[in-house]
Amino acid sequence: MKISLNIVKQLTGMELPPVDELVDRINRQLGGVEEIIDLGAKYKDAKIVKVVECVKHPNADKLSLCQVDVGEADLVQIVCGANNVKADMWAVWLPPESIVPSTYGSADEFRLGARELRGEMSHGMLASAKELGIGDDHDGIVDITEHDVPNGAELSAGASFAEVFGLDDTIIDIENKMFTHRPDLFGQLGVAREISAILQLDPHADEPLENHFENPEWYLTRSEFDSPDDLDLTVFNEAGDAVPRFMAVAIKNITVTQSPLWLKCQLVAMGGKPINSIVDATNYIMLMTAQPTHAYDYDKLRGHSLGTRMAKQGETIRLLNDKTYELDATDIVIVDGEGPVGLGGIMGGGNSEVSAETKNIVLEVANFDMYAVRKSSMRHGVFTDALTRFNKGQSALMNDRILAQLMTMVGGQQASVVHDLMNSATKEALDNSHSYCSNMPIVAEFVNQRLGIELNETQIGNILRPANFAAHMSDDNKNLLVTAPPWRTDIEYPEDIVEEVGRLYGFDKLPRELPSRSTKPVAKNQSREAMRQIRDVLSNAGANEVLTYSFVHENILTRVGQNPDKAYKLSNALSPDLQYYRLSVLPSLIANVHMNIKAGHDEFTLFEIGKAHHKDATSDDGLPVELGRVAGVYAAKQPGSGAPYYACKRLVQQLTDAWGMDVHHQPLAEFDAGEFDGLRQLMAPFDAERSAMLWIGDKFIGVIGEFTQSVLRNFKLPEHSAGFELFLSPFENNQPRTTYTPLSRYPSTTQDISLRHASDIRYADVNQTVRTALADADADVSTHVQPLSIYRADDSDTTTTTFRITLTHQDKTLTDADASQIVQTVISAARDEHGAEQV
Amino acid sequence: MTDFAALETELLARVETSDQPRSVLRAPELKQLYAQIRDADDKAAFGASVNQLKQSLESAITVREDMLAQLDRAPIDVTAPMDVNAPLPQLAPAARGSIHPISREIAYIVDIFQRMGYVAESSREIDDQYHVFESLNFPKGHPARDDYDTFMTVEQDADGEPLIAPAHTSTMQNRVMKKYRDSLDHGEAIAAIVPDRVFRNEDLDARHEHTFYQVEGIYVARGVHAGMLIATLQTFLEEYYGQKLDVRVNPFYFPFTEPSFEFALSCPFCAGENDSCKVCSGEGWVELLGCGMIHPNVLRAADIDPTEYTGFAFGCGIDRLIMMKHQIEDVRHFESAKLDFLRQF
Repeated sequence: MKISLNIVKQLTGMELPPVDELVDRINRQLGGVEEIIDLGAKYKDAKIVKVVECVKHPNADKLSLCQVDVGEADLVQIVCGANNVKADMWAVWLPPESIVPSTYGSADEFRLGARELRGEMSHGMLASAKELGIGDDHDGIVDITEHDVPNGAELSAGASFAEVFGLDDTIIDIENKMFTHRPDLFGQLGVAREISAILQLDPHADEPLENHFENPEWYLTRSEFDSPDDLDLTVFNEAGDAVPRFMAVAIKNITVTQSPLWLKCQLVAMGGKPINSIVDATNYIMLMTAQPTHAYDYDKLRGHSLGTRMAKQGETIRLLNDKTYELDATDIVIVDGEGPVGLGGIMGGGNSEVSAETKNIVLEVANFDMYAVRKSSMRHGVFTDALTRFNKGQSALMNDRILAQLMTMVGGQQASVVHDLMNSATKEALDNSHSYCSNMPIVAEFVNQRLGIELNETQIGNILRPANFAAHMSDDNKNLLVTAPPWRTDIEYPEDIVEEVGRLYGFDKLPRELPSRSTKPVAKNQSREAMRQIRDVLSNAGANEVLTYSFVHENILTRVGQNPDKAYKLSNALSPDLQYYRLSVLPSLIANVHMNIKAGHDEFTLFEIGKAHHKDATSDDGLPVELGRVAGVYAAKQPGSGAPYYACKRLVQQLTDAWGMDVHHQPLAEFDAGEFDGLRQLMAPFDAERSAMLWIGDKFIGVIGEFTQSVLRNFKLPEHSAGFELFLSPFENNQPRTTYTPLSRYPSTTQDISLRHASDIRYADVNQTVRTALADADADVSTHVQPLSIYRADDSDTTTTTFRITLTHQDKTLTDADASQIVQTVISAARDEHGAEQV
Repeated sequence: MTDFAALETELLARVETSDQPRSVLRAPELKQLYAQIRDADDKAAFGASVNQLKQSLESAITVREDMLAQLDRAPIDVTAPMDVNAPLPQLAPAARGSIHPISREIAYIVDIFQRMGYVAESSREIDDQYHVFESLNFPKGHPARDDYDTFMTVEQDADGEPLIAPAHTSTMQNRVMKKYRDSLDHGEAIAAIVPDRVFRNEDLDARHEHTFYQVEGIYVARGVHAGMLIATLQTFLEEYYGQKLDVRVNPFYFPFTEPSFEFALSCPFCAGENDSCKVCSGEGWVELLGCGMIHPNVLRAADIDPTEYTGFAFGCGIDRLIMMKHQIEDVRHFESAKLDFLRQF
């Protein structure tokens, strides 16, 4: 939102502090200033001058030779090519060495000089509107006449153009986002009021101050309109509450001309663009008050009627931007007797546009439902200054005054009654103190408690009144009754008054104190704690934590063999790489292996704690269940000894051991996911013959394994790769655990035993037998078993598994005989259960 | 006239049964087809059909080859701690491991807030519009929703609205306040932070990520005022940076807080004394986060009476804190999974 400080000065009648200081206060008490534009610099050299003499250039047919009074002793000679240049006219001179304003600040600034044109010296130039950056007109130079000059200003040769026309200005651009709830601040008047309130602040006065902001007379006075009937005009509203208020009036005998120069300059200062006298008037009103208005060519309105309704399905409209839109019943349209002439609150139609030939017009000052216009503009992709204002929810309580002011600006004569259609809510607010929020009781304590300050009701009233709130004490003297000004649509709760008071008082002045708290220890978050510990364990085991996106491209899913139909799908991602929520975390890691190998890392493990989502998994409230996972991928460029599965298994064991989990491994090939599609997707990348499902008792906790050939090929993985993905829940629901064995005062005895057994007997079974036998052997002996090697000769169908058994007695030193006896029970158990032989 | 369909069926069958499926590409039938291209009536069409056939064979061959390679790989004993005839695998040295800088920073932040009395909660990666918007006082169709470029799903929530990848961890506010609602009855405050992943549907560049991390804070009790919010954040930041800092608040607009602020701190890296400071661009201030007093409608949505209790909330980007701290030049590094990046932390 661009704000002209000159206009603010005019409106407030105040001297403003230096720009830096003002910007600082706006930042702190209104909203973030994005840019400060020194408009004055652009026009600093332009001077108002009088052409004293104008003759044809001796050497050129189309040029004139002018002697110009620039306010100095000598006249200045300027060659001018415009055909409207004449003696005695007032013009704008751009002297030598000045920069043409329309090029100011651009990449190729044009600096004027004093140079010879066809043998005659020309000192700078006389400027057209286009060169001054105040319009498209470059048919002739600016010809300043009486009605161009701002009220009270007098023309004198050599006067600064910027000063006379108010362009010695600083423009402050305040972030729009700050004003999302403040439709009134999309006009100069609103911001000027806030600035005035901030500067007038006197929070400590104990007497009620009448320090309100002086709004322009026309803005405050309820308008009384005449009721002529020179032109027929039917006005209707069939859109109900979607159009809370719709005002229109016909005006006859207008002439569409250029606006006076002062108005053009004001529009430019406010960030507008002069077009013609009628459009400029509507824009001026909008930039001033934030209320968009529109003018239609009366004679182009079929049936001389203007109204509003919801569009019919499939109806089309061609807007002023020359594009055609197909409408539906959610669009508000402005219609004449036959069809749409505008998209309500957004843009007018081309068929009713005011043109140079226009004689009679209809002025509309309406109000539209913010949600409806926002939806329309989003759907059609049309964004305009009017929309920016309407979609914040403009007040409908000021339309009459705004229309009255607009009528004084466009000229002509009122030719119809002023139609004023409003819904009951608007009428109620108009009747109810002319406010959307009247007599809201505010207790000082309520405000003080929320801001940590100590103001009394009088002081609160003094803070609010400069922003045109009405505030007086209730009859019982208990409450401050606050009435918001009619343009404030955002005041609904007492908290809104707290915001207002705090902001105007200055949030920086609030006392800074920490809340007091009890000494009760705060609860630990078990899940976050578990994740932290997992990170510690895995990174201490040499693995690297990564964070990858929660969304993947479809081809990641399909290349690991997952089914995208089971994944939640994004509908609007800008990036083509983000199509689906992940069905499991591991594929994202697999996808990052090749890149790291190429970067020169030969052997590594990446792990990630993340979430999987699957359409089958929804909770009672209908939301997708977030499946916490820890996944890892191990890859080595050079094959190590043994299958990579075991490297991964070793790492996972580090983790499950930390939690004291008793995990057993089931070959993936023996597992059937059955109806659990989530598990099927989880298993997809794994080679069934070289992977294991992990269980704790009858609870499934994850998968470890090597990848299928197609996964290896699709992701350019080295042969020596494997991965895992575990559920987080067993880690979240249990604490890491350490099991301690008391130290014995007696030495331990160690024995290695090698058991040869058929190769189809699994290690786990042999291991189980050994452990059970040891546990049953002697209750006083603590035992420790460690696998040493698994050996199989080429082509042999037997395997030799060697364990190192450590035996410790709590009360004595074990003799060899004791030890051998225990070992013998192990060997015989292995023989009985697996037909194993000791070797 | 060549019957491509029949030929394809025949050749595919051969691929299915062959031990060397690639040899099917050298089948005499194919060679014959190549020879015919030259004399075909419609060369282009014929050529295209031949090409299509060849592609179909190629993909069938890859599948068959993968399967054969798979068969080649002997099953392993997944219950064993090591492979046959191989040593017990060793863990990689701890020095090679690393924790992601974002995880580290979150742990650091959580630690400070826990010492200040806040519990840490986690957020969601997919949520309904009630939690992302409605419960936070963004009515349906509210223009403030435009400020959050949210990812949406094809699938819908219980209200028939698309699900959303939350654009702020405030999506947990309602749940967290409800979860700890009872504390208020016991005279305890609700004090929680939610450090987690959030999403904005943006194009990537060195300064914009669609996936990033935020820490949300919530504090509700009796008599909580805006000055406490400022003091809390100042205290946190001073602890975080280990130095005294100035802070300032500018009014802002968020639907879920009233009043709302934009919070800035004096530059912890140059204290405003370096005109070319990369962090604050010589401004001396770093705009860091948004915050405010929790809107009464938001409290009400969590069954908390706003006339009895008040509270504040804040949301701070974590990635930016880390980037400032380590002078990281490109936000995309965080989710890049590059070991060269990760192992520096």
